[in-house]
Order: sequence, then C-alpha cells, then structure tokens
Amino acid sequence: MSTEFQNLFTRIQIHGPVYPGVPLPPGSWRAFKGSMKHLFGWIGDTQLGPIYLGFTGVMSLFCGFVAFEIIGLNMFAQVNWDLVQFIRQLPWLALEPPAPGYGLRIPPLQHGGWWLMAGFFLTTSVLLWWLRMYRRAKSLGLSQHTTWAFASAIWLFLVLGLIRPVLMGAWSEAVPFGIFPHLDWTAAFSLRYGNLFYNPFHALSIAFLYGSTLLFAMHAGTVLSTTRYGGDREVEQITDRGTASERMALFWRWTMGFNATIESIHRWAWWFAVLTTLTGGIGILLTGTVVDNWYLWAVKHGVAPAYPHSFPAVTDPAALPGAQP
Amino acid sequence: MSMLSFERRYRVRGGTLVGGDLFDFWIGPFYVGFFGVTTAFCAVTGTLLLIYGAALGPTWNLWQINVAPPDLKYGLGFAPMREGGIWQWVTILATGAFVSWALREVEICRKLGIGIHVPVAFGAAIVAYVTLEVVRPVLMGAWGHGFPYGIYSHLDWVSNVGYQYLHFHYNPAHMIAVSLFFTTTMALGLHSSLILSVSNPPRGEPVRGAEHENTFYRDAVGYSIGALGIHRLGYLISVNAALFSALCIVLSGPFWTKGWPEWWSWWLNIPVWK
Amino acid sequence: MSAGTFRRGHLAPLALGALAGALLLAGCERPPPEAVQRGYRGTGMVQVYNPRDFAKSVAANPPPPPALPPAVAEGPRASQAFKNVQVLSDLSVGELARVMLSMTQWVAPQAQQCAYCHNLNDMASDELYTKRVARRMLQMVREVNTSWTSHVAQTGVTCYTCHRGQQVPTQAWFTNPGPHQPGGLHATLAGKNVPLPVNGMSSLAYDPLTELLIKPADVKLTGEQALPAGNRHSLKQTYTTYGLMMYMSGALGVNCTYCHNTHSFKEWASSPPTRVKAWYGIRMVRQLNSNYLLPLHDVLPPERLGPTGDVAKVGCATCHKGVYKPVFGAPMLKDFPELGPPRVVAAPPAPAAKPVARTADAAAGAARDTRGR
Repeated sequence: MSTEFQNLFTRIQIHGPVYPGVPLPPGSWRAFKGSMKHLFGWIGDTQLGPIYLGFTGVMSLFCGFVAFEIIGLNMFAQVNWDLVQFIRQLPWLALEPPAPGYGLRIPPLQHGGWWLMAGFFLTTSVLLWWLRMYRRAKSLGLSQHTTWAFASAIWLFLVLGLIRPVLMGAWSEAVPFGIFPHLDWTAAFSLRYGNLFYNPFHALSIAFLYGSTLLFAMHAGTVLSTTRYGGDREVEQITDRGTASERMALFWRWTMGFNATIESIHRWAWWFAVLTTLTGGIGILLTGTVVDNWYLWAVKHGVAPAYPHSFPAVTDPAALPGAQP
Repeated sequence: MSMLSFERRYRVRGGTLVGGDLFDFWIGPFYVGFFGVTTAFCAVTGTLLLIYGAALGPTWNLWQINVAPPDLKYGLGFAPMREGGIWQWVTILATGAFVSWALREVEICRKLGIGIHVPVAFGAAIVAYVTLEVVRPVLMGAWGHGFPYGIYSHLDWVSNVGYQYLHFHYNPAHMIAVSLFFTTTMALGLHSSLILSVSNPPRGEPVRGAEHENTFYRDAVGYSIGALGIHRLGYLISVNAALFSALCIVLSGPFWTKGWPEWWSWWLNIPVWK
Repeated sequence: MSAGTFRRGHLAPLALGALAGALLLAGCERPPPEAVQRGYRGTGMVQVYNPRDFAKSVAANPPPPPALPPAVAEGPRASQAFKNVQVLSDLSVGELARVMLSMTQWVAPQAQQCAYCHNLNDMASDELYTKRVARRMLQMVREVNTSWTSHVAQTGVTCYTCHRGQQVPTQAWFTNPGPHQPGGLHATLAGKNVPLPVNGMSSLAYDPLTELLIKPADVKLTGEQALPAGNRHSLKQTYTTYGLMMYMSGALGVNCTYCHNTHSFKEWASSPPTRVKAWYGIRMVRQLNSNYLLPLHDVLPPERLGPTGDVAKVGCATCHKGVYKPVFGAPMLKDFPELGPPRVVAAPPAPAAKPVARTADAAAGAARDTRGR
C-alpha cells in the first residue's frame, strides 16, 4: 500500500516520436505536426496534436469566435471601453436577452438584438461541432456514442436558450450571457416558478449528476487501483478478460454484492451522464409551460412536507378587507 | 452459487486490518470482515432509529418523512430522543457505518492486491457528509445546524441555508464544486462513449484499440489524455467535487455570515483599480 | 527525466493550491458566529451573525438622548398661543416647546439649533425651506404613528428614528440612473449587472427601489396556482424583486429566512409574522414617498436633490439602518405622545384619527397636506 503503487502521477515520462494518427481517408488531412508536452505527461498523454480541422470544425470555431466577440465587446462597451474596469467588473457584466415586451420579435441591437445574434452564432457553432463529432467518429470507423451523448447536452442547451423561450413566447425567458448574471437567472428561475427543488425532473437530473460523479469516482478508482495489472487497458480487458478486470469485478462484488463488467460499467456511466442533461432539459422545458409553481404542484401531489408551526398563524395581509395592493 | 467462475482462487485469507481471521469470511457474494460487522450493526441500528423517528412523526408518506436535528438551544449537548436525539444517534451511526464501509473496502483491496483508490475517494464523500453534519455544526456551536433526514425536508434545509447567505450561487467554493460536478459528468459521458464506441463498432468494423481512441480525440480537440490519464483526471475531479462541496458549506456560517455576493467586495476593492 | 525535476515540479500544484486557498479565505470571517433559530428545528431558518459586526451595529445605533421631562398638557393650545402652528396645533404650549427642543436634539444638535428652521426674529415665518420641510415631516411622523401601527406597532417613530442627530437622514435614497454609458449600438445594461450595496453587490437590478418603493407594484411574482393560469410575471421582474429583497436584507441586517420559509417564498401559512410587518412596511414606504417626500420637490433647494433631480426618498434602511428593529426596538412614541394621533381639541378642527380605515387616513393626510402648504 505504499504510495508508488497508487499511480496518481507519471513518475517517469517517455518521450518518443509523435504518433500522426490512424490514416485518414484520401483527401482528408490533419493540421500541426504535434509535439510532446512535459506538463501534460504528469497525468496524461504527453502528445499534443495533431488536430483535424475540416469544414465543420473551422466553421464551428469561427461561429463560436463571433459569439464570443459579440458578448465580450458589448460588455467592454458597457464599461465605457475602460480595460481596467472591464476586468474588474467582468463577473457582473452580461449580454442580456430582450425585455418581455419584445416577445419573440427581433429587437433593436441595444435591447437584445446582440443577444439574439450571439445566441444564433453560439447555437450554430455547437451544432456544427456536433456534426464534426459525428463525422470524426464515422471516418475512423467508430460507433456514434459520443455524438449522441453530446446531443443530450445540446438538448439542455437548446431548451434553455431556444425551445422554452419559444414556447413561452418571449426571448426574455432565456439565460443571459454573463458569469454572475447567469447565476442570477438560475436563482430567479427557481423563485419565479415556485422552487425548482420541487421539480421532479430537476431532482432526477441532480441525482444523475451526483450519480455520475459517484460513478466516475468509483470507476476511475477501480481502474487506477488495478493499473499494476493493466486495468487501464479497458478495451483489451473487455475483449480478453485479464486478472485486472477479475479483481475489479470481485472488489465490487465483495463490497456490495453486485458488480458491473469492465464493459457494462461504461454503459451505466453513459446513461447516467446522458440522463443528467436529458432529465434536466425536460425539467426546464416543463417549467412555466406546463407547471407555474412547483411548490404548489408538490403540495397538490402530497410530496411537500409540512412543519409544526413555530409562529402564530399568518395570513396574507393583501387578502384582508380594505387592503392596498 | 454466488461465486463467479474465476472467483474461488481470489478468495484467500488475510489482508484484514483488525480482527485477524475472526471475521475473515464471505456470506454469499459479500465479504464480511470486522468492519462488515460494524457496518451492518451501524446501518441496521441507524435505519431502525430512522423508522422509529418516522413512526413518531405525523406521516408515513415517504417524501414527507422528516427526522430533524435538535433545536439550537441544545447547543452541542444531547437532546431528548423525540426532540432531535434520534437525529443525533442516526448521525453517529451513519458516520460509523460510512467509515466502517470504507475500512472494509480497504481490507478487500488488500485481499485483492489492488490500490486503495476507491476507499480514499469514498473518504472524500465521507468528509463532505461529516462536514455537513458534524464539523460545521460544531464550528457554529449547535447540532441544530445539521441537515434533517428526509427526502424533501433536506431540500428545504438546503434552500433555507442557501438563503441564509442571500444568494448561494455567489459562494466561490460552490462555484468550483458545481463546475467540477458538471465537468466530471461531461468527462464521464465522453469516456464511456469512447470505450463503448471502440468496443461496439458499427456492423462489419473490427473492435478498435488505443490508436483509434487517441486519434479520435486528437482529431476532435487536438489532445487525447490517454487511457490511464482519463481515469486519473476523472478521479481527481470527482473527488474534488466532493471536497469543494464540503468547503463551500463549511465556509457558510463559520467563516462567512453575510450574503455571498457581498463577499466579492474584496475583488472590487483591490487597490490597483478601486 | 531526473527525480529532481519531478520534485521541483511537485511544488507548483502545492503553491497553486495554497494561493487558491488564501484567495478563497481572503475577506472571510472567523468562527464561531452567533445564530438565532427562527423556525422549526432542522428547517435551516436561522439568523447568523458575526458577533463583532453585531457589536459594531449596536454601537452605531445608540438609543435616543434622554427625553425631556413631560410638559403640562393642559392650558391653551399651541395654535391659540402662537401664529402659524399648523401640525402640532392640538398640543399645549408646553408640549409644543418640548417637541421643538427635542427636534433640535434629534435633527440639528450641532448646527444652528432653532435657527436651522426658524427666522429667530419671526418664529412664525415660513421663509426657510427647512421649516416647510420640517412641517411636512411632522405630518409624516404623525401619519406613521397614527395609520401605520401595522408596521411600527406601539414603538412608533420620532424624528430620531431616521435622523439620529443628522440634518439629512443617512440611507435615504435617490433614483439611480445607472452608470454612464457611451452612445452607440452596444447592448444596454438592462437595469442590472452593477454591483452596489443596494443589491447586495450582486448583478441583480441596481435600482429596485424606484420601481417598487414609490408606486404600487407587484413584488410577489410567484403564481397562486400550480399550473399556468395567466400569471404573466417575467423572469426580468424577478431580478427586480430579488434586488429589493437584497436591499431589505441589508437594511434590516437579516437573511431571507427572517421573513420566509424559502421552500415557498409565496406561501403565507409557513411564513414568520415578520413577513407581515415587512409587507406593511413596503406599503408604508410607498405611501410616505408618494404623499410626503415627492411633493417636497419644489420646496427643496437644488443641492438637496439627487442626480436625476428627484427628492431623497425613504426606504427600509432609512429607519432600520442595518438593524432588524430601528434602534434595536427602543420605544420612540412612549415619551412623545405629542407625536401620536392628533388629539381632538383645538380649532381649526383637525381631522379625527381613524387608525383602522387606511383610505380615510389617506384623505385626511391629503387634507392636512393642503393646510400645511
């Protein structure tokens, strides 16, 4: 149990020639030769690059850059083009969606037009990147698990910024582009719609989020603990079971009476990760469109707990006769 | 029979931390060990106490059952069973069960000749639990600051404790913890996808190996962390998600009593740009 | 690579970690805090205080100076003995003198004292704007003590509640036009994203007070039904309501759970009674701003006006000054019945106080308003 067997960092790095990658179909090419980075070698592979650019990749980066610039330059203008204040106030700044009065119309640039444009370019960028992932997997003869997992994340992204605002009939429902402001959005969203903790899909999403983190800790810990038997060479262990995967299986079997296999743990993992954003997106989509107050929804369905009164009973003063609004 | 085909030759004596050979045996697939006995004792007693606590309460509705900590007036002393004492014993027993479980995992690791990464990672989760239920209440001077045992009551606690600091999302450690949870989930999705996509190739394609794994990621993002590296990365970020969660709650109250947005005043007031 | 490189490299993450930890704790406080439970155990409804900050707050909010001995309530009325007594006309001569002396302690102890408001050669003259403002403020104080016992209870208010020996109370507020913006097509701030004490240094609305503390407006946005039933309140409004709540929290030195069980901010049944107090407080502040402060616009000299030319207005913080009860609940009205509901005696006939019906009171306030001019 001494520390050298825990294998958390690479102690001896081997720097060899750069591996150019599996040959691509004729006509495709990769950019940059690739090089060895000592820093990366501490925990991972030392080789950085080469990279495949391709049309969708370049266009995706371009659209992402445009969105980034629209957001950043608007923030910069909001502090009077003062670089120091830009850095100082950056966490508070945002590119805000239009006011509710604009509905789904295209607002003037100052009042949400830039936001709409940034959203368009960011969405295009993300969708192009999705297409790129699909094509990269296909060209290498791999299955599309990454593509569909990514699609689940894009689902949540689209629900937040596009689908739900459209269903609600106003861009103003969407998330602002900003560090603290997007956190304000999440808080306001919960306040306006009666406590998101009582949204069952939000609860499921958090359960899958924590579950994913738990699973990754369990899986990564299991693999790292058997690296001295080659446990990290998972595909080899899948196709030709070795002592590493036997020990992995037995560790969990002896611990909790059940074990996944070296392959099936990745299916558990895939579903947990995918369901995080899938259920999260459903939870957001239902909020405001189908349910207006999640707390009252939970009361209606016998879910919300009640507590013994610690105070004299309180009633709504606005409901008293002669009350002001 | 509960043994896997290859299991018998791994079932060897030894590796225990305490108790020698006394509890060195299996029941069905479960390894027992000294810590298996303490785990079972703590878990069963704690669960029975929770059921007792539920029986004292007004409801058997699973969502609404609530076993709450004592009033603040009891400070760090013991409260009567019906007024938070059950919560106190459940907390003690839960901590005992979690720690026993981790130590039992260590014994299993030793038996199998593998590293203790899993129990150490589980230790991070235990740290988060103990921080919530023991460390923070002690720093604040009363057990009543712990969260109650109940599916929705604990969420109400999270809500109210969050709003004790006006806007909890501005808690920097909470920001880091949430980012780590999201990143871990994304990394898990990417890792599991990659393994499944090379080991379950399209019809007619062979199973692929490390060359394809690395090429796929280098093509896509310019870097492949590698088969060993992804597990190190996943381990580090998932464990840190738990540790930063513990940090974000222990800061709230003991080390910060105001709104979390106000905490950022130090950033706004750095002399270089104030 | 050599082992030496590895060891040197090892320091970097440690140093980074230490730096991150130091940054995280920069500006933090030290345990233990003081906590006050305000709900059922385990709900997390707890007020958390830093005892050192609390001590500072106690020191910064001293009780009012000892009250002058009570005056004889009998005898001729002030309005009969003096010219141009319009608000305190129901007081005896002695009582009027006592209130006037107390006002110098409360509002102008250092400065010119009587001369701050009065022409000493003609005490009845209204030539100084300060006197005309003071008259309006006296009407306001009596209105608060008469019609707003739902908020101030029997504690009541005097000039001291806000003024604390200052000519202009601290924590009055002006409409905030927002930071200067360059012209052009760039996106506006949309009324938020500027950290200020009013919004608790968050990026929520930076001037929730103008929108919510002058005219009647919806503070509560959450729907009364589980399913959508025509509740059109937007997320943008939530930033303003949340901003107001940040302000109120700072004004009272309390957190959200002082008035809410946050499992449902909307639900009254699980709310502490403090929320009702606060509800009346919001209505009181609106009425005071609309009926007493805004009409002073033409009375005040330009230097007393705000950046948009508006008068200083009251908010929760103007009285509370960071404390859950102003001056930690020191009784104000007890020693000054003169500032309570007008006593029915004198001519010209003062409108009778009707502490229950608020609409009637508003009318009475308007009536006094005309006389006050």
